[in-house]
Amino acid sequence: MKRSLTLLQEPKSPKWLPAIGAIVLGSGLFSGVALYAAAPEKARYVPLKPSPTTKPASANPASGAVKIAPKTTSLPAKPIAAKPNFERDVAPMVKQYCLSCHSGADAAAGLALDDLKAAGVLKDRHVWELVAQNVESGHMPPKNKPAPTRVQRDRLVEWIQGTLTAVDCQIKDPGQVTLHRLNRAEYNNTIRDLVGVDFKPAADFPSDDVGYGFDNIGDVLSISPLLIEKYFNAAEQITEKAIVLPDVKTVRFNADKLEGNDDNGGDGGNVLLGVTGSTAAVDYDFAKDGNYLLRVRAFGQQFGNEPVRMSLQLDGKELRLVDVTAVEKEPQNFEETITVKAGKHKLTAVYTNNYKVVDAPDPKDRGDRNLLIEHFEIKGPLGEPQLPESHRRLIFQKPTAENSEATARVILRAFARRAFRRPVLDAEVERMVRPVNLAQKQGESFERGIQLAMQAILTSPHFLFRVETNPKNAKADPKYGGEKIGLVDDYQLASRLSYFLWSSMPDEELFDCAARGTLKDPVVLEKQVRRMLKDEKAQALADNFASQWLTLRNLDTAAPDPDYFPDFNEDLRTAMRQETSLFFQAIVREDRSIMDFLDADFTYLNEPLAKHYGIAGVSGSEFRRVVFDALQAKQRGGLLTQASVLTVTSNPTRTSPVKRGKWVLETILGTPPPPPPPNVPELVEAKKEAAATFTTVRQRLQEHRKNPACASCHARMDPIGFGLENYDATGAWRTLDGKAPLDASGTLTSGESFRGPTQLKSILKAKKNEFAMALSAKLLTYALGRGLEARDKCVVQDIAKSLTKNDYRFSALVVAVAQSDPFRKRRSNEGKVQ
Amino acid sequence: MSRQIARRKFLRGVGTAMSLPLLEGMLPLRALAQSEKSAAAQKIIRPNRMMFCFVPNGMHMADWTPTSEGAFELPWIMEPLKNVKENLTVLSGLAQHNAFALGDGGGDHARSTATFLTGVHVKKTDGADIKGGISVDQLAAQQVGNLTKFPSLEVGIERGRQAGSCDTGYSCAYSSSISWRSESTPVAKETNPRLVFERLFGNGEALEEAASRQRRELYKKSILDFVLEDANSLKAQLNTRDQQKLDEYFTGVREIEQRLNRVEKESESNVPLSAKPSGIPQDPGEHIRLMSDMVVLAMQADLTRISTFMFANDGSNRSYRNIGISEGHHELSHHGRDPVKQEKIRQINRFHITQLAYMLEKMKSIPEGEGTLLDNSMIVFGAGISDGDRHNHNDLPILLAGGGAGTLKTGRHIRYEKDTPLNNLFLAMLDRVGVRADTLGDSTGRLEQLF
Repeated sequence: MKRSLTLLQEPKSPKWLPAIGAIVLGSGLFSGVALYAAAPEKARYVPLKPSPTTKPASANPASGAVKIAPKTTSLPAKPIAAKPNFERDVAPMVKQYCLSCHSGADAAAGLALDDLKAAGVLKDRHVWELVAQNVESGHMPPKNKPAPTRVQRDRLVEWIQGTLTAVDCQIKDPGQVTLHRLNRAEYNNTIRDLVGVDFKPAADFPSDDVGYGFDNIGDVLSISPLLIEKYFNAAEQITEKAIVLPDVKTVRFNADKLEGNDDNGGDGGNVLLGVTGSTAAVDYDFAKDGNYLLRVRAFGQQFGNEPVRMSLQLDGKELRLVDVTAVEKEPQNFEETITVKAGKHKLTAVYTNNYKVVDAPDPKDRGDRNLLIEHFEIKGPLGEPQLPESHRRLIFQKPTAENSEATARVILRAFARRAFRRPVLDAEVERMVRPVNLAQKQGESFERGIQLAMQAILTSPHFLFRVETNPKNAKADPKYGGEKIGLVDDYQLASRLSYFLWSSMPDEELFDCAARGTLKDPVVLEKQVRRMLKDEKAQALADNFASQWLTLRNLDTAAPDPDYFPDFNEDLRTAMRQETSLFFQAIVREDRSIMDFLDADFTYLNEPLAKHYGIAGVSGSEFRRVVFDALQAKQRGGLLTQASVLTVTSNPTRTSPVKRGKWVLETILGTPPPPPPPNVPELVEAKKEAAATFTTVRQRLQEHRKNPACASCHARMDPIGFGLENYDATGAWRTLDGKAPLDASGTLTSGESFRGPTQLKSILKAKKNEFAMALSAKLLTYALGRGLEARDKCVVQDIAKSLTKNDYRFSALVVAVAQSDPFRKRRSNEGKVQ
Repeated sequence: MSRQIARRKFLRGVGTAMSLPLLEGMLPLRALAQSEKSAAAQKIIRPNRMMFCFVPNGMHMADWTPTSEGAFELPWIMEPLKNVKENLTVLSGLAQHNAFALGDGGGDHARSTATFLTGVHVKKTDGADIKGGISVDQLAAQQVGNLTKFPSLEVGIERGRQAGSCDTGYSCAYSSSISWRSESTPVAKETNPRLVFERLFGNGEALEEAASRQRRELYKKSILDFVLEDANSLKAQLNTRDQQKLDEYFTGVREIEQRLNRVEKESESNVPLSAKPSGIPQDPGEHIRLMSDMVVLAMQADLTRISTFMFANDGSNRSYRNIGISEGHHELSHHGRDPVKQEKIRQINRFHITQLAYMLEKMKSIPEGEGTLLDNSMIVFGAGISDGDRHNHNDLPILLAGGGAGTLKTGRHIRYEKDTPLNNLFLAMLDRVGVRADTLGDSTGRLEQLF
């Protein structure tokens, strides 16, 4: 608990803050409070409730069917106009409901709230956050004590959150990002851009754990020994693929290694070819495409009036017919350059002109002509090796015997600057050269040495982590309690930007900006963001941000039951994923309004998916943009109607209005329902039996909502899900649920009623501010690689405001995130664990 | 029978010959003959393995718990274990109390995973400041893992979830591993049997000549030196939290360094190529069995003596169509006493047990010394949740298989006092692999009556 006290002793309350209250702390404060509620020590980012100035989402004038339902729940449909006030809304309530336990020296949980005068809200922000959480969630006051109304609770919470946010907006604490290792996608992309080999070496790495909905969260990205092992193996594979070793070899096949079709056998280490058509051959596995020298050493036992003739053949085709005039003890070399593709090829020597006389009367006329082969040699590949592009890029200078070390320095400095994403020090380069020298001492090539040095670079923490150091320009401001805040170094900012938009390392233009020190200039930053969004590497936003924002990576494991959904197959699964990815990319590329995510008149389809949607006229597996006609627009348009989203929010055999409702609350509105109670109470048996007779999901859920413990949250989730009941568990359109007629109507807790997906979308589209805030918060989380904290709300508000001012254009969102304080700045708290 | 022949026989399960470092497990026979050491000494010398198999979403307890204590009839779920019944000890009444909410609200699946082998109440966070505790396998690996090439082996069937949250308010780091190296670092697991194989035996390429192998090791050392120097100088520039992240890196690099040193001492080993899996089978049963083969192979070859094996991740909503169940496992586990759903749950439970039976029978078929591999192992099989509908973490379904190198009396069902910490079992197991630990997590002592 030492840490909590430290936090609370600082920083000093700034004078401009209203003195609003003090909280006396007992030593057991945090553990005590934690007994009552899930109370993370650092307050989690809880999205803001719509601010009182936001117009409550009312009927879309264009859609006459939407109406406000009469208020039937205790939840407020509309905030009270006046801003909550400490004297009126906070102090009396604390006095009435809290102090009976939380006061004096023996205050419950060591938390005394009775001295409400002296200090500022900032000083005690963690306490206030805990009060807000416990009161909002209903954990406090306890069940057997008098409790405030929902409206009173909301006023208290709104005051606490509003006051804290106002403070945060003044302070602009950028927070801290934990040392961030590259995740799998970032590793793959970085290797692609750094080395020029695109073979996804991280495919076999263990999964990156997810925090706050994303797999790029520094705190969560841990390193296990298994992963280190994979890093070493990957570095070896990468450098071996990227750099080709000079490998001209000579392989000799002596007589005993040659295959013959002649049983005459060898003769003193030679193969004897005794009759026409006799062969000696070798099957050789050529490592690479290229030219090779074939050398056959042979001689003849000459007889008759012509010399021994030998046909040299490659894969049965004659290369050359040669006269073997040599005789024993003076064999001759016959050389032939051959061009082959990598793989096995057969090299053959064929004896073509046997001549034999055994029955001549004069023994001088008797004799036998034979061909004898000593060995085959294959040398190659000849000439300049066929170097891959990556090799020429990485080893851009040729070493000579005298200057190989100097060349190694030049090559490695250039590589390490890009790998470490910053200029490298001379001392670092000196160490990098060591493996090169080591390899050469072992009698290996310069290229082998460079491979090793690059392996060292690729397994160095400077490559594997995005290292950020404390800003040099940081100033200590009393507001931060002595902690320093400053702009991150330009190179580090370049990396933040490139990993945000490309999930990869910076390119040369970003490095140039960083070298000139101009990236910190917001104008330059914006220009770079806009340039980067147009680059094809920005597809990473779809691959890594959108797929996680929309929880679509779970599509990989979605398993609709083939008995219920016989049309679902792998092609369709892939097509679903692709539709949403292309749709997202279109919004980024065309810089459309983020409201198009909720409703749009186009999408991307191929034949299987178009069939699934019942849209005619799309044939083939290629995706194309399809603009909906009026009829189609009633069924499709926007993310909520895409099969990908609808499938990941379903169970294998049926739809789940609960999951869909929860998805919309989290993803679109940024108001996730609280977690279910830890021990879901068992339904009474009688009800259980009744439940078995229900035919529709809706009926089952209605029964569920009779339980007050479940009702308050399910009342928020279920109706939204009902609005999407026209889509089955794989996103196909339907009008029946089993055999029962389908009812896609619902009433939201905020009062609006709707019938069917189009009306539901109209309601959601009117909640522009909520959606802008929700998406801003998600994109900021992804951009920073850390969870948002309560104090980041102010930043999220600013980003959402910037969106509003710029017609909700996607680029405005990205620019605002990139220009935000948390993205450009860093707080240094040396030696302190936060 | 000559020693050489005995070793070949011992390896017959592999399908091809491979030569191995001489197992310490084979030593006692000779050692005993020489010096007539006591049975106690033999216990210490015989290698004893520990393995932890985890299944998600609780168990249908009515068909799990034997009706009688001591000698027992196999309940329905355990029937597939009939061939290894005398090698089992069923332990009832054990609990992981710290997996309960204790004020933290929902998230039982994440908690049950992170608590299962640690006995620690993990900190509820979606990312910042992940905090759990060291798990029993890693404690053992840190102390006796140096005896084998791999201190421990972590495998599973399902990758960590790739999007969204894994369980309300808990980072996915809590839900994908039962093995924790330290309080902040879960240990990643391998889910592809082929990759496990390659890790254990190399990628199957022909053996290098001694000279080129030596050279390769020399290079590797120079790279290790380089990166350790980098990491050391970097560490000085970082704040404490970042230093902790870098420490994870150090640990991993040092482990490779140590392994390199150990490998040097070993003789060359041939790779049993025929045993190499080609990838991840579609069928979940085949996947589990293939992974079991890998783990058994690793134990048999004494490449490791410590392993964790997650048959699925907790909260897994996988549907087991291979046994005719198309609803998701998690969805079904919230059965609300619906008999149809409960029937499917117990079938999934029995399916998992069937895979366990495959592994145990395989271990039993491998002779080792005067007994079998199973005799010289301790395999815990169980779940971190008892009833999937209630999410309770007491009265856990726990099975202990194997003879623990003569330290366990098997073929019994033992009922312990309600809410006895599961970690008491772990302390008792640590004793049996020569690891001294006075406490672990919420342990209150060593589990008794095991022998």
